[in-house]
Amino acid sequence: MQRVAITGFGVVSPIGVGREVFWASLAEGRSGIGRIARFDCSTFEVQLAGEVKEAIQSPEEIAEVASADPKVGFAWAACVEAMAQAGLRELNSKCLLHLGTSLEVFDLSQVVREGRPDVQAIADRRPCDGPRRFQIPLDTAVRLIVARLGRPGRSLTNCSACAAGAQAIGHGFRGIRRGQWDIAVCGGFDSMINPLGVGGFQLLGALTTSNDRGQRACRPFDASRNGTVLGEGAAVFVLEPLEKVLAEGKEILAEVCGYGSTLDAHSLSAPDPEGDGAARAMKMALDDAGIAPDAIAHINAHGTGTALNDKVEAAAIRRVFDGLWERIPVSATKAMTGHLIAAAGAVEVGACLLALVRNMMPPNPSLERVGQGCELNHVTGRAACFEGGYVLSNSFGFGGQNATLVLGRHNGSR
Amino acid sequence: MKRSEVVVTGVGMVTPWGTTAETSAEGWRARRAVERRALEDLRDTSLAGAQVAALPEFDAAERLGERRMLKYMSDAAVIGCVAAREASTQAGLRKRFRPERVGLYAGAGLAAASVKESYPIIRESIDTDGRFSCRLLGSRGLASTNPLLSFKILANMPACLVSILESVKGPNYIFTPWEGQTASALAEAWNAVADGEVDCALAGAADYPTHPSTYVFLRQSGLLCEGEFPAAAAAYLALERRETAVRDSRTILAEIGEMSVVECDDGPVDPLSSLMGRSFAAAPAVLLALSCRTEVDSFFVCGVDRQAFRAEVRRP
Repeated sequence: MQRVAITGFGVVSPIGVGREVFWASLAEGRSGIGRIARFDCSTFEVQLAGEVKEAIQSPEEIAEVASADPKVGFAWAACVEAMAQAGLRELNSKCLLHLGTSLEVFDLSQVVREGRPDVQAIADRRPCDGPRRFQIPLDTAVRLIVARLGRPGRSLTNCSACAAGAQAIGHGFRGIRRGQWDIAVCGGFDSMINPLGVGGFQLLGALTTSNDRGQRACRPFDASRNGTVLGEGAAVFVLEPLEKVLAEGKEILAEVCGYGSTLDAHSLSAPDPEGDGAARAMKMALDDAGIAPDAIAHINAHGTGTALNDKVEAAAIRRVFDGLWERIPVSATKAMTGHLIAAAGAVEVGACLLALVRNMMPPNPSLERVGQGCELNHVTGRAACFEGGYVLSNSFGFGGQNATLVLGRHNGSR
Repeated sequence: MKRSEVVVTGVGMVTPWGTTAETSAEGWRARRAVERRALEDLRDTSLAGAQVAALPEFDAAERLGERRMLKYMSDAAVIGCVAAREASTQAGLRKRFRPERVGLYAGAGLAAASVKESYPIIRESIDTDGRFSCRLLGSRGLASTNPLLSFKILANMPACLVSILESVKGPNYIFTPWEGQTASALAEAWNAVADGEVDCALAGAADYPTHPSTYVFLRQSGLLCEGEFPAAAAAYLALERRETAVRDSRTILAEIGEMSVVECDDGPVDPLSSLMGRSFAAAPAVLLALSCRTEVDSFFVCGVDRQAFRAEVRRP
């Protein structure tokens, strides 16, 4: 089976657009969380989010859709940056394009007629009425990217919630490894920072309402954590067979070494209290990479800042890395980016690249007092030096889907 | 790497023909046109006369032996879970396999919650000028709705409910929202079984494109032509290696010799559409399930996402 190299990485995030800005922000522990500016949230209990502040450049047809569904523009920008770094100008039949995302955008304001809700209001509009669409399907970004950048051998839209981005990378990795594809362009993109997205998660009690905490509102593993903060953005990677990349003399950022995917089969909204699904995903990824737990030198946790997730994840990490966990530094970058839902796993793989490319582990700057049951070797304050060979990234989804990726430093031969 | 033969030992379906695999297959064998119903909500619009396939009534709680979870379920989730239960039961999935060794590979259609379920939010969020107000949404609208609505519009929820009800804990993918995506999910399932990544795969899809708002979207996007009609449907299959089926003396419904997905510009459209209606994401799973129960040996279908699904099915 072929080894798999990462040759391109593009990112749009609340802490910067483009990999250099993103990595710099992570290294400084800079938070992108603040008061929601995109819509009037003054009457919402939740008023914080990690918004992308920069304008995204994209072709007209993409910008038009992105005006109603910003995540489409994020996907485009991350894709273009990743492909440019990999020296890839277009997609072709040897390519896989696989992106993860989560929730369709609905514009409820369009279902109003004569002062009352009425579905007939949307029936008499002109077909494809510009950006004012009632519903924007989840495959829209992939469809627009294909229209601009060429047709791949397979294009996929993954909707596995918070595990979607990591699943897309894992799937691309597997496809390259078994020789099915020459190139995989894969990752995740998302934005739920709209009235229904924020409102829906507010109703579920998943978001912090401690609006006075501002930039430090998302507190993974902290004793005072009381909910996550929504973020938005995208991260896309180009994966290629290592041998081919070496022959072409291209830069290798890192290698994808292992992937694990499991289901909790427990609850739609809460993780398995034993952390069984999470632990199995980590073990599966380690087995897939053919390495023992003691080879892992850094973990980027899912770390959402919710009471249940962090406790369960910490327990799962301690179980998988029994006797080792006190030596393995753990980062939780949602403290800075917020929870990018379907893009989270991909953006956090991008954070893992900071360790493997720049030898720095991002911190969890919100962590002041470790919560009960959340004991791990947390990286706090500022970034720490990293010299290890392998990093592990966790993504655990609403609905019970878990995905773990193992990345390795490329040093010619491991 | 040696690949194992992949066989089907369980099939479940909910279609406008019937709410079981057998009644659905009977409808297909007889080439019976399904009943349609008018979308009354659109009667005063330019889409007046809109029709969708009628789904036979059934008691989901009885079929699932579960009433509590129904409140979390969208319409697509209900029919998906019922189809998955039928396939899982027929294959003896829960008794024969460790949950960790069973994978779930699913297609999901467009978000399928009824717009009417959001009417209370909208009603409470309309200001004195008759316009939708974000401020009122925050102060009144959200409080007026069922917090569980989110579970009904997240695209992965129907398949996650299947995992919970059938205790499936292994590898998984969920792709959305058209035929080609479900086809890819089915192909992933086939590969996972053939390569030994899992011992059994529960694979299928559910789509419920018959809500008025979905109908409007499909027509306005040109994805549903005049004269065509959408159909809610779900199908799941239990795939496993021939050797485990033989070892456990299970009835082999069919062997799937080849399954592939390719990008395509044109090709035969869903052969079910003229009789049963267009079930979009569910169509490849329904076709594969029907081919395990009827005379269809192979088929090639091009979806609206310009990806074609080809499968070769051999029945014993």
